[in-house]
Amino acid sequence: MMAPRNSILSGRLRSAVIIGGQGIRARKLRTFLSMISLFMGVLAVVTVQAGAEIAQRAMLSDVELQQGKDGTRVMYVPDTGASIIEDAMRGRTDAVASLGMNAIIGEPGVRPVNEGGMSFENAGRGPRGGDMWCDERGCYPMEQKGPEKPAGQAIEVRMQALTGDVRSFRPFRPVTGQWLDFGSAPSLAPRIVLNREAAKGFRMYQVPAEMSVQGATAHMTPQIVGVIDDGGYEPTAYIRIDELRSWLPSGTAQAADPYRGGGGLQLMMSPGTDDLEQTLKAKLAGTGLKAEQLQSNVINSRARMLEELAIMRWIFLGMAALVLLIGVAGILNVGLATVGERVEEFALRRAVGTSRMLLAGIVLSETLLTGLLTAGAAIGVGVVGLKVGSQIIGGKYPSLQGIEFPWQAGVAGVIAGLVAGILGGLIPAVRAARIPIATVMRA
Amino acid sequence: MTIPMSAAPIAAPPIQTPLIRLSGITKTLKGQDEPRTILDGVNLTVHSGQSIAILGRSGSGKSTLLSLIGLFDRADGGQYLLGERDITKLPERKAAALRSAEFGFVFQRFFLLKHLSAAQNVAMALVNGQGWLPRRKRKTQVMEALDQVGIAHLAKHKPPRLSGGEQQRVAIARALVRQPRVLLADEPTGALDTETGNLVVDVLLKATHRGCGLVLVTHDHDHAAKMGSVLSLHDGRLG
Ligand SMILES: Nc1ncnc2c1ncn2[C@@H]1O[C@H](COP(=O)(O)OP(=O)(O)O)[C@@H](O)[C@H]1O
Ligand SMILES: [Mg+2]
Repeated sequence: MMAPRNSILSGRLRSAVIIGGQGIRARKLRTFLSMISLFMGVLAVVTVQAGAEIAQRAMLSDVELQQGKDGTRVMYVPDTGASIIEDAMRGRTDAVASLGMNAIIGEPGVRPVNEGGMSFENAGRGPRGGDMWCDERGCYPMEQKGPEKPAGQAIEVRMQALTGDVRSFRPFRPVTGQWLDFGSAPSLAPRIVLNREAAKGFRMYQVPAEMSVQGATAHMTPQIVGVIDDGGYEPTAYIRIDELRSWLPSGTAQAADPYRGGGGLQLMMSPGTDDLEQTLKAKLAGTGLKAEQLQSNVINSRARMLEELAIMRWIFLGMAALVLLIGVAGILNVGLATVGERVEEFALRRAVGTSRMLLAGIVLSETLLTGLLTAGAAIGVGVVGLKVGSQIIGGKYPSLQGIEFPWQAGVAGVIAGLVAGILGGLIPAVRAARIPIATVMRA
Repeated sequence: MTIPMSAAPIAAPPIQTPLIRLSGITKTLKGQDEPRTILDGVNLTVHSGQSIAILGRSGSGKSTLLSLIGLFDRADGGQYLLGERDITKLPERKAAALRSAEFGFVFQRFFLLKHLSAAQNVAMALVNGQGWLPRRKRKTQVMEALDQVGIAHLAKHKPPRLSGGEQQRVAIARALVRQPRVLLADEPTGALDTETGNLVVDVLLKATHRGCGLVLVTHDHDHAAKMGSVLSLHDGRLG
């Protein structure tokens, strides 16, 4: 007699596996056709989810580095307020000011290879950028001031002179060497830290270590102490403002060339430093700066970007869901036809003691399995596609190099497969359970 | 109307509790226009090892009666005792378990799955979610059942390669593999020629020698004559 060694549940489960397996094996072609009808939909879901994840990672990974953490208060102060700000910032960690200017490193008196401080990718290509002047009627190239300088071994970088450690606002990623040491005594040979693009320039060109800064009285010899990733694409060097100041009379940073860079100081403040802001504004007002010249705003780039990406993702997922729905209709169609064909088999199975629930469960698991197999195939195609794609276009977009297939896309694919399996299998399962056993007696 | 116990001659020793006792069973089915009472007070007792033939015109309700005995469906009225147990109003889940454990079914058509071998078709009755046998035990029981109906050598054949009589014997093996207490056969020879039909009836009768009860619905009076008792269904009653 039947001696159930295992639990009732495991007997049911094992029976279901055998019966379901027999059903699928007897209809391999049909299972395959179901999978095809579902494949595009699941692939669409996987693709959207993978694309959204990758875009989000690429965009969000650098947004804090470039613009500062959400919540940071940013204020721009014209050059006339520079000395007040620099004095106020000394020794502070909850607020940092940076003064921007262009600097040329290399042979003196030559035209840098990337004139204007553009990225080295574009250096020497296309029209020489930079010097334009604009009025309400349009923009015009500026007339050359004197003879053009000869091209030479020099590179132009954006110089950011810092009053303190800016990394609490912009969390730069270390690449090699060290970051600026704000605690030590200022050095006469200014220490600079390069971003990756600037470091690339140093690798590509033999550049002597001589630096001229707009408005500086003499050339200086900088020491490069490290390289960081600041998320930016233009060559940039970071320097302690006090080390720069020994070469640069206060307040004259931009005087030499008002058309290049500039825009005064950028002040970044932690949340909760409202007092500092009020004090600074009062002091700056004393120098004749008007209140509307001292607007501050709070960074929320990351939050805004997340929100925009989320909206995009839902729109695309919605479209993918429509494609998936077509697949579900296909699997449902096949499922109903199959149940129609198997009426006698199901009636007989119930006659020999298979319960209604188990029968419905078997029909449902057959489509669920189809859905899962499809999900597996779609995820596989997604993984391979991403690998191939990142190899093909990865050269153009470095952020796409070596990206991993996001696990969220895999999860989305499995969920899509399961949902499609349930939607496509539920009605056939209910129909199968409702077949009267007496069907086997009507010959 | 109630007739005390069985109207049929009892072949088996009456000391035993009967396997099945039906009394006053009624069943009404939805007809074309109005409901039709198909069974109108059926009484039937089946003992262990007893064989009963049920004759009756087409449409007289023979299959309906078998479907009530085999718990495919429930009666509208009357009482159904299986051994000592009253199963008149059994919920479907329990009915499925009883169909598996107590009954074996054979139909006019064989209902074999054509993509499965004879052995796998027989094993279908073991792989039904009611308990579990490991593969080897399953195989032993399947081979025993196939041997019982004389076609153990055809175990690996698929139905399209089997003759009608062989296919029906696979179906009988499927009905016997769980060693049921009652075998219900609804015109099992209807699709077979006389000679093959005789063979099939003999195979069914052989099962009663092991104590199995047999209820055979048939049109063939020769086959009916081989049974221990013969009843006929007429106007919704058995007599
Ligand atoms: N599901 C059903 N619904 C309504 N009427 C049915 C149903 N099944 C069978 N019948 C009718 O019940 C009567 C008895 O059928 P059945 O038991 O199959 O007779 P038999 O097996 O003796 O030929 C027939 O008239 C048949 O048309
Ligand atoms: Mg009939």
